Amino acid sequence: MTDKPRLTALRLHKALYPIWRNDPGWKGVLTTVNNNTIGTMFILGAAGMFLAGGILAMLIRAQLASPRSAFMGPEVYNQIFTMHGTIMMFLFAIPFFEALTVFLLPAMLGTRDLAFPRLGAYGFWCYMIGATIMIVALLAGVAPDGGWFMYPPLSSSAHSPGINTDIWLLGISFIEISAIGAAVEVVVTVLRYRAVGMTLDRLPIFAWYMLVVAVMILTAFPPMILGSLILELERAFDMPFFQAEHGGDSLLWQHLFWLFGHPEVYIIFLPAAGVISAILPVMARTTLLGYGWVVAAAISLAVLSFGLWVHHMFTTGIPHMGLAFFSAVSTLVAVPTGVQIFAWIGTLWKGRPRMHLPMLWIMGFFVTFVMGGLTGVMVAMVPFDWQAHDTYFVVAHLHYVLIGGYVFPMIAGIYYWLPVLTGRKRFFRMGEVAFWLVMAGFHGTFLLLHWAGLLGMRRRVDSIEAGSGWEGINLLASVSGFVLAIGFGLVVLDVAANALVAVRGRRNPWNAGTLEWATPIPSPAYNVASIPVVDSRYPLHDNPGLPVQIARGEGFLGHPTRNRRETLAVSVSGARPDFIAVMPRNSIVPFAMAVVTSVMFMAPVWKGWWLMFASAGGVAMLAMVWAWAGGSRHDEGLLDAGRGVTLPPHTEISHPPGWWGSLFLLLADAVLFGSLLFGYAFLWTVAPNWPPPAILEPGTGGPALAAGGAVLACGGIRGADQAIRRGRAPWPGLVASLAGLAALGGAAWTVFGGTTHDAHAYDATLWVIAGYAVFHAGVAGLMALFLMARIRAGFISARRCGDARVVRLWIDYAALTAALGLGAAWLPGWLA
Amino acid sequence: MTDILRLSLPLSVWIAAFSAVYGLEGIVCSDHWAAAGLSLGQGRAALLVAWAAAIAVQVVLLAGLRMPRFASSLPGVQRIAAILAAVALVATVWSLLPVAATSLCL
Repeated sequence: MTDKPRLTALRLHKALYPIWRNDPGWKGVLTTVNNNTIGTMFILGAAGMFLAGGILAMLIRAQLASPRSAFMGPEVYNQIFTMHGTIMMFLFAIPFFEALTVFLLPAMLGTRDLAFPRLGAYGFWCYMIGATIMIVALLAGVAPDGGWFMYPPLSSSAHSPGINTDIWLLGISFIEISAIGAAVEVVVTVLRYRAVGMTLDRLPIFAWYMLVVAVMILTAFPPMILGSLILELERAFDMPFFQAEHGGDSLLWQHLFWLFGHPEVYIIFLPAAGVISAILPVMARTTLLGYGWVVAAAISLAVLSFGLWVHHMFTTGIPHMGLAFFSAVSTLVAVPTGVQIFAWIGTLWKGRPRMHLPMLWIMGFFVTFVMGGLTGVMVAMVPFDWQAHDTYFVVAHLHYVLIGGYVFPMIAGIYYWLPVLTGRKRFFRMGEVAFWLVMAGFHGTFLLLHWAGLLGMRRRVDSIEAGSGWEGINLLASVSGFVLAIGFGLVVLDVAANALVAVRGRRNPWNAGTLEWATPIPSPAYNVASIPVVDSRYPLHDNPGLPVQIARGEGFLGHPTRNRRETLAVSVSGARPDFIAVMPRNSIVPFAMAVVTSVMFMAPVWKGWWLMFASAGGVAMLAMVWAWAGGSRHDEGLLDAGRGVTLPPHTEISHPPGWWGSLFLLLADAVLFGSLLFGYAFLWTVAPNWPPPAILEPGTGGPALAAGGAVLACGGIRGADQAIRRGRAPWPGLVASLAGLAALGGAAWTVFGGTTHDAHAYDATLWVIAGYAVFHAGVAGLMALFLMARIRAGFISARRCGDARVVRLWIDYAALTAALGLGAAWLPGWLA
Repeated sequence: MTDILRLSLPLSVWIAAFSAVYGLEGIVCSDHWAAAGLSLGQGRAALLVAWAAAIAVQVVLLAGLRMPRFASSLPGVQRIAAILAAVALVATVWSLLPVAATSLCL
């Protein structure tokens, strides 16, 4: 680089830095919305949870090292193993890859931040507060103790009195806000915020994987959120969803839990596969073999994983044909998994692999994951699963898949992206020793535990008997477990030492081809000084001068003259410039909202209903403060985006980022609604003690209100939207829409009047359906009122009509689901 | 978004068909089926028809996605869409094969 371009790059950095930087000091920690800062804090938080979960694992191994151990009693042991599973699955595995994604994705896609920076901050704080609550509960001795999948009737109030189970149900639901928020962000970012020319078939492979995983989160988490909600309702208000004597069925929980739980395994595995697909070609000095096949395999695996949930329920008495469906899909998923494995082996074959530390961990993954995958095929066979179910064979299998298939690749990823994360190159060499300790410790622990399972050792036993034949295996497994822990401890020490005190590194030390290596290291707050134009999957290989061009502002938005946070949005498929997105500045609102949300979720643990409703009001208020800050009170017209292109700001397009975010949030909401209807149909078809003693009489008032309300709500908002775009008064349409929503709420209210919430599972289900309709009509109504206020304040014009489109989407959804839900509630009465 | 639809449609149809057939099997094996005066033989026939319909839809999707009219302008996306449509067809045949091969309500 000559002096002149360097000066140009420096000038641009000095112009961009004040716009994008965090607030100074501790205030900056609470107000930051920057993906690099949030990502770093998220990584540290999730790593801390891994250490906490690891300590609990060591306590478990200490307890089981000798027969009839008096190390801890069953009450404590139950909390320890429940929290070990809960922490590792919900507080480490998912948050850790989300954290890595939050950090890496913008730079990798050649954009300046994620689509919704404040949502990222809110999700992070929800996670941190929720994780803290869970840890405090453990230290206080009131941690969940029903196992990480909380099966009723064990977890019902009759068998699990006290607040332990409530903390799990409400705490985990609260923490899942973070996962859902991150998923919405990732989907919209990957689809709309990329370098120009980065078409869908040129996406970095990691971004493809994360897009798939994010959609999986949006579709897999809602069934469990619904399950947690109705189990909590049963515990708090005796609504008998899972009580057979009142028409409930505990198998409903298992269906809802595993509808989440099995895709969850792939939600955890696929990011690791994305990391491998990103790293392996670089380590092999080549390109990924079969890019299209790998993308197809990832998508196939994601969807097929939703047809597997019953394979966790093979021993529940389901008819053979049902078992055979799920056994067939369980074998089918091995095919796309195999395609990925063969693509990786082929990539190694065609390249010239270097055995750097990340590669060592990937080799560890290959050995371990293939073994875990094969035992997975074994338990997919129904007769074998009948024997191995709930034994240590399954415990060993899942640890092979989760540690081998997830933790090893994530460690590879941390070492690989360490220069981007820290700006330093690896100096201390404890990593290799740590790797071999982990490998020896891991296989010494879990390979042996397969045998313990085959010898009949049940999972979750708090002690073993002398003479059972399991003592030697468990002693060896415990010793190996501590070796494993020392290995992981060394990894943490090595990464910390290299992150804090190693020498500064240079950009792109691995000679990788993707854009996250085009930024200065560590990645600056604005990620890219200008939005690049790319024409291949490996732009840095094809154009080694690209980092300099980006730094000199030769891409889009390379002249920050408007003194605000701007980035470029592109068309979904073709990645053509579409509009300029104005990003929010630092804000305390996400943190404040996370605190108030935590109160809303945790107040019911102590039956603090008024506090819950008050904090729900607080959340609604803060959400309005949040949304009010965006937008503009004047039309800006087309703006200079650089390279001779002019584009509108996001406030002046018909489908702004908020519309896209709402669309994918409503996808998750629709899955929750679908799960609710599934639960209703399941209970009606399968549960004992149906039909219920009394069926709701629909009458004529309720259905008439619902039909009229739906038409009025949807028609009204359409009229208002049209009026805004034509510059006319939107008030009649908005008032009509509000009246329609009120009618929908009134229609739902008739269901409450015609049933008794705790009489039968039928009544309880109808209350939830009606409650869902009332809640959504309320939310849509609040949004319509908010839109009115925005119109009065001058935020809306014929050009700036995006807000109306967002509200229209929510009102349409509320009307549609209310009509469907209430129709399902009244259907038996009509047929009777 | 059209390309996203091309990529996601066949497997989404598979999961919908898979869930529907599983649900139908639940209904056939429930007391409601017998109460409606229907036999298990008719239940098996209904399941076979549902399976055949699911396969037919997948064949139409596979053929449709290969037609120039519905093809993606991005060659890479077009190839991935074709692979996924084939995967969905195979998944439909394989995962619902038990309707013809196993006992119904045992």
